[in-house]
Amino acid sequence: MSYNIYEINEDLKEFIPKEIVDLQERATWGNPKRGVMDLPYSKELVEEHSLCAGCPESAALRYILASLPNPEDTIIVNSTGCTSLVFPHIALHTVHSLFGNQNAVASGIKRVLEIRFPDKVKDVVVLAGDGATVDIGLDCTLQSFFRQERITTICFDNEVYANTGGQESGLTVKGYVFKMAPKGKQFDKVPMWQLAIDSGCHYVARLTVSSPKRVEQVIKKAIYVAREVGPTYVHLYTPCILEIGLNSDDGLEEMRNRDKERFAFFEYMTPHAEEVINKVKEECLL
Amino acid sequence: MQATETLLYNRAGQKIVSPDYLLFEAPRAKHFMTGSEAVKEAVRRASVDASVSYPITPQSEAAHLIGELWAEGYVGVYFRGESEFGVMSEVAGCAMAGARTITTTSGPGTLRAMENFPMWAGTRIPVQLVLMARGINSPLSIQPDNLEVGFLLDTGCMIWYAETAQDLFDMILAGFTVAEQPDVHVPVINVIDGFFVSHTREAIMLPPDDIALPPYNPYKAPMPVIDAEVPPGRFLRDPFVMKSNYISYATHASWQWEVRAAIERSRPYAKHYLRGLIELFGNPEAELVFVACGTASAQAKEAVRLLEDEGIPAKVVKLKTIRPFPIEELRESVKGAKYIFVPEFNVVGWLEREVRRYLYGHSNAEIIGAPRVAGGMTMPAEAIVKEVLKLTGKEVKHVI
Amino acid sequence: MAHIGQSGYSPYPVAVYEGILTPPPGKALIFNEIVDEDIAMREAAKAMLTRQNPTIFPGPQVLYAWNEEAKEKAKLVRKMAEVLGAKIIPMYDYRPKYPKINPSVEINPNHPNLTIWHNKIKACIFVGVHCHYANVALKIIRAETDCFTIAMCSMAGHEDAMITLRDQHAEDMERFIKIAEEVKRELKQY
Repeated sequence: MSYNIYEINEDLKEFIPKEIVDLQERATWGNPKRGVMDLPYSKELVEEHSLCAGCPESAALRYILASLPNPEDTIIVNSTGCTSLVFPHIALHTVHSLFGNQNAVASGIKRVLEIRFPDKVKDVVVLAGDGATVDIGLDCTLQSFFRQERITTICFDNEVYANTGGQESGLTVKGYVFKMAPKGKQFDKVPMWQLAIDSGCHYVARLTVSSPKRVEQVIKKAIYVAREVGPTYVHLYTPCILEIGLNSDDGLEEMRNRDKERFAFFEYMTPHAEEVINKVKEECLL
Repeated sequence: MQATETLLYNRAGQKIVSPDYLLFEAPRAKHFMTGSEAVKEAVRRASVDASVSYPITPQSEAAHLIGELWAEGYVGVYFRGESEFGVMSEVAGCAMAGARTITTTSGPGTLRAMENFPMWAGTRIPVQLVLMARGINSPLSIQPDNLEVGFLLDTGCMIWYAETAQDLFDMILAGFTVAEQPDVHVPVINVIDGFFVSHTREAIMLPPDDIALPPYNPYKAPMPVIDAEVPPGRFLRDPFVMKSNYISYATHASWQWEVRAAIERSRPYAKHYLRGLIELFGNPEAELVFVACGTASAQAKEAVRLLEDEGIPAKVVKLKTIRPFPIEELRESVKGAKYIFVPEFNVVGWLEREVRRYLYGHSNAEIIGAPRVAGGMTMPAEAIVKEVLKLTGKEVKHVI
Repeated sequence: MAHIGQSGYSPYPVAVYEGILTPPPGKALIFNEIVDEDIAMREAAKAMLTRQNPTIFPGPQVLYAWNEEAKEKAKLVRKMAEVLGAKIIPMYDYRPKYPKINPSVEINPNHPNLTIWHNKIKACIFVGVHCHYANVALKIIRAETDCFTIAMCSMAGHEDAMITLRDQHAEDMERFIKIAEEVKRELKQY
């Protein structure tokens, strides 16, 4: 593990702000059993960011970062969008490159880290919005699945281009009126989870982030399977409360309502993935 | 980290030698090969960690041959990407994760990949791109034409231009060496004219294949390598900078200057490893000067020979680097010039623009952007001579 | 500084456009002059000892205990601060920080001028900052402040600093501390 990059030299510690000292002393490093239950007690891996108050995406990011089994050796690759406002504040090595190339960049990183550190586990996790994953970046996303890259891809689906002011995306529900779809969207929501299965992902899940514990389980399974088998895909509903006209405390209820319909929990795994998951369960890591 | 132990052998078991030894001192033997094969021989001796490929004529063969090197164990990572956009992003990932990385492309592929090049420069990766120039659409052409280079001039990448397979071989090795200097550390694009250099065989002098460049040390990079082994642990490469304090627009400006400054810092290294940023050919006192790069400079050299036969002294200033542009060298070399011809393989004359820009106020010579051929036309030396004669009015027997 | 040409029209003048490059190995740079390292070290010490609110900005490569050299350098940074009577303000990471930095205790490469203005720093040393971020910050400082900048770089140096020392490792820092002690004694005599 690379925990020592967080360890502050004693001689200079007194000059370092508390938030950085806390990362060394109070974050959960080197403990694959870490999870969302640690959130109230440990230093989180994300600092203050500029997402809207009550944004479910920020909750999703906190749960995901709390659930990474190997944060000290995890690389995050992300894309342009609301999430790019959060990434500078994540306490891990993170890449923002171009809009839509996240799975290509992640493929390069993962393959090189495998040859540079053959004896270490380095997890590579892609975090991107629905525009980045399914519209502009669909080619790179699917091709990384075809090539069986050992990376985990997590899509924050808010069903709209939120950061640019609320335009229709491929994941917008048919009929919804957004900018660039003034007469309502003319075609169905892209079933990205199904495309992921058909394109060779070994573990696929679709869910809202209404249940932190469930998010933790899914993220851990996705990362362990990616490490051992091949590409995995997690599709999270993180509604843009601003663009669908809700208040900042309405996010959770919106997700609970969708839990019963188009974001009903769905999980798929290949037999090989199931073996890995069972093994991890036996080790009490899930 | 910051490993200082000296390695004796690389991944492929080749003996590691200094760039100076490999480029200047090692004994060389004569071979006969194409430009694409010269790429393979350079990569074989370059301790390359990663390469990603995509088919497009005329660079495909070079990309296949790098694949063969991977199969033979000389290259660590190799695969075919989904498109040039994907490929250039994949090599960016490889380089950010600490790999010495090379890829190749041509014409429409360059334009497909375009968004990546300023990103490469901005994120300070020393990726090497071998560009085998060809025409760009529309209409579709696979023929040699270097218009695409005009699009790359301001991407923040170094751009070097090879005339021959020999140049290309040496420039690939020098390219890694210069691009990876900690104070440079920006991408290098080594250009050749497609087909003319990629597909023709020529004599080329190669050092032995059991020696190679020292491996890349990512811990000397000016930015933390993305491997979770370097502080700061909290690091985003590269952030949306203006969101800090909502006033840091200055960062973006300074960052862009820094990328251009990095190219400037490459000058002394490039001068050393390329033996100068320009090459002179012909009569040093000549008032008739051709400023050219790549195949156009080869043809201009032939034209100088023809003109010599006719008693007209002429010389060629061959530019080996376009970014950084050899400003001082060019000004010095055209001091006595009355006529400067810039022969080019494209319709727009991007090199003529560059030459005019840097000679403005520094030369009284007449600058003539001719001859200019495109779309796969060749540029016979006689055509160059004809342009000269239009100007001098002198009749010469063997010209078309 | 530049009056004409590309960098002249930018608010961020760039030293290389005035023909200044990083110093050759074994040498140092004072403004546009290539000098011996000892001379540059003396001038750097003098600047730190005579200007107001001298401050050392240690970067991640010396702040964190990620290798033995970093641990040693951290000790030396501390000692250097004592000898020079300098404050230490860390550049602990490079992120654009939200919502804002506290300029009294931290410096950020995206707007290093804020910390320099706030603390009225007239001389500073960059040490352990990754070269790209040092260069971005040094250009902004040169444009926006009257702070005298000194770069102690373990790589090839920074021409945008007013004094650049290159290839600086622990033993060089020790040498600098010795020279600083000498300069301090000499200054006291006057």
